[in-house]
Amino acid sequence: MIELLAPGGNLEMVKAAVERGANAVYVGARGWSRRRDAYELSDEQVRDAIGIAHSGGAKLRVAINTNMQSCELPALLEKMEKFVSWGVDGAIMTDVGAIAQVHRCFPQLVIHASIGANIVNNEDVKFYRSIGVSQVVADTKLTLRELAARKADVDVGIEILIHANNCYTYLGKCWMSPYHRLERTTDDFGKDLFRGSPNRGGLDYRVCLEQWELFDDKALLEPHVALKNNAFFYLDDIPALIDLGVHCLKIQGRGYPVPLVAHIVGFYRELIDAYRAKPAEPFDLTSWRLRLEAIRAERDSRRSNMTLVLLNEARQPVPHRA
Amino acid sequence: MGAFELNTTISNLRSLRESDLSPYDAVYLGNIYCRIFEDNFLERMNDLKEGIARVKDQGLRAYLTSYAGPRNDALPKVQMALETAVAAGADAVEVHNLGILRLLHEQFPGLPAHIGGFANVYTDAGTEVLKEYGAVRFTPNYEISLDEAEAITAGVGIPAELLVHGKMPLGVSDYCFLLEYEQHWPEKCPVVCQKQLFLRQGEWAMRSVGKGVLSGKDVCMLEHLSRLLAAGHKVFRIEAAYETPGYRLQIARIYRATLERALAGDGTVEESVWQAIREHTAVGLCNGFYFGRTGGEYIGRRTEAAAPAESSLFCVLRGEQ
Repeated sequence: MIELLAPGGNLEMVKAAVERGANAVYVGARGWSRRRDAYELSDEQVRDAIGIAHSGGAKLRVAINTNMQSCELPALLEKMEKFVSWGVDGAIMTDVGAIAQVHRCFPQLVIHASIGANIVNNEDVKFYRSIGVSQVVADTKLTLRELAARKADVDVGIEILIHANNCYTYLGKCWMSPYHRLERTTDDFGKDLFRGSPNRGGLDYRVCLEQWELFDDKALLEPHVALKNNAFFYLDDIPALIDLGVHCLKIQGRGYPVPLVAHIVGFYRELIDAYRAKPAEPFDLTSWRLRLEAIRAERDSRRSNMTLVLLNEARQPVPHRA
Repeated sequence: MGAFELNTTISNLRSLRESDLSPYDAVYLGNIYCRIFEDNFLERMNDLKEGIARVKDQGLRAYLTSYAGPRNDALPKVQMALETAVAAGADAVEVHNLGILRLLHEQFPGLPAHIGGFANVYTDAGTEVLKEYGAVRFTPNYEISLDEAEAITAGVGIPAELLVHGKMPLGVSDYCFLLEYEQHWPEKCPVVCQKQLFLRQGEWAMRSVGKGVLSGKDVCMLEHLSRLLAAGHKVFRIEAAYETPGYRLQIARIYRATLERALAGDGTVEESVWQAIREHTAVGLCNGFYFGRTGGEYIGRRTEAAAPAESSLFCVLRGEQ
């Protein structure tokens, strides 16, 4: 059965996602996932999230998918030991060293290679399989044909982002944001939050979305150019993805309001169930498209406001670190 | 290797022929961003063979580089480039993609692997894994500090290659946004990305190469070479894939001379070189992330050197050492 995976930016969101039909929820361990710390959970909250998910018949994954420092690896293993003892169902990870170490210490734990691992070809998948990964998040730029080739060629679980951003750059291979602003802040538990680095700390100032001017040396060529960064919802491809046999459809959005995330989860739950109920019949997406437009409008409004806040934050001076 | 290695990147045979490589010890051949970059070595096997021969005839080491974001359809060509490089006597292959590393390890186990900056080396544990796959050298992810890179080297026992001058890669894409605009310009693909194109907004500036974004400022570690040598670093890169032969030559001469002075115990930098450095930067200088700060900052005694030749508008200056 295809799995619907929902975001859990706080405990209320975890509960709402499970109630609206998510088969699994992912949460970020505070300071350790690709989202700013406001949308991550403390260890105790992760434990509570596991309880909420399991009591609703869902799985709970924890994202530890930043590219940490070497010196932080022992702390990561301590954290994982706790999560495993509490019954976490999987870990979403990026750093190959961290993946290899976690797999050695907890061989039964399902490890998902994060979108930040930027796995773009089948040889990549085989590499990650060899170090202990059993499911990979497909890069948002891959085509259905590439996904089909992956499914045919490699024994691996495939996760598809059905609500996410399609950045101009490959995710995990971009450091435009910290080039402009990087704030080194250590949290109460000694974890460096690397504010401004999406790879290291999760906060991305979205500088790619600035209104850029393009110059040829000193001559202005184009007054307005945009580096594409589109937030998307999959709709037309959902039936094909189900037919292809992908393992998981994943919704991103830990930073959005709980009612909006609940709405998105409910929409996809109903869509998947409706398609699966009558797989042999032609599936008309017209009514679904109309419903999705309303969700999209609210998401776009939230996202635009957040982008302005982040771009403004990116221009603030970095406090001197003692 | 001698006391140190100074290397650079060249994308095609034309640029190789035009370049005076006398200050260098090694050259990476190929363009990592785009398969249709003008006569990319990675797509033209005869050119690659000739390029490797030309580099080696000059007594330098010839390395093949490889794509930063290769999809399935690029892998057969990568395979051909690896076969060509082996037959032509290349000394190593730079890999930015772990799938290519796996392929290299399985099929060409005798060819040393240099891990590139897009392979995302952040930790010693990660580097250990890559070492098992044949890595003998790594470029740390550009986001990590010198302290972190040195901890990895100490823990894993393979050297780091450091970008000491040039525009630092900031991102790679599968999509060339310049193609949306080129109809307005006289130059077209596959040469339009070689123009000095900068994305600017206020004080911000980044260099665009279509399928990649580079720092607007040039990373400059000239003032810090003694510190790098003292820490045991020996492999230094002048990143000049999108620069002119003049840049490639002049900057390397400055670095070679300064490294040799530093090895002789003189850690100073010739005053006269700063003018040349300034002439070869459009936006200013920075240190990347080496000192654990915002990548566009410059730290050093010669803060005025961080200003571009005609304007200091785009610079963040910090007179701290």
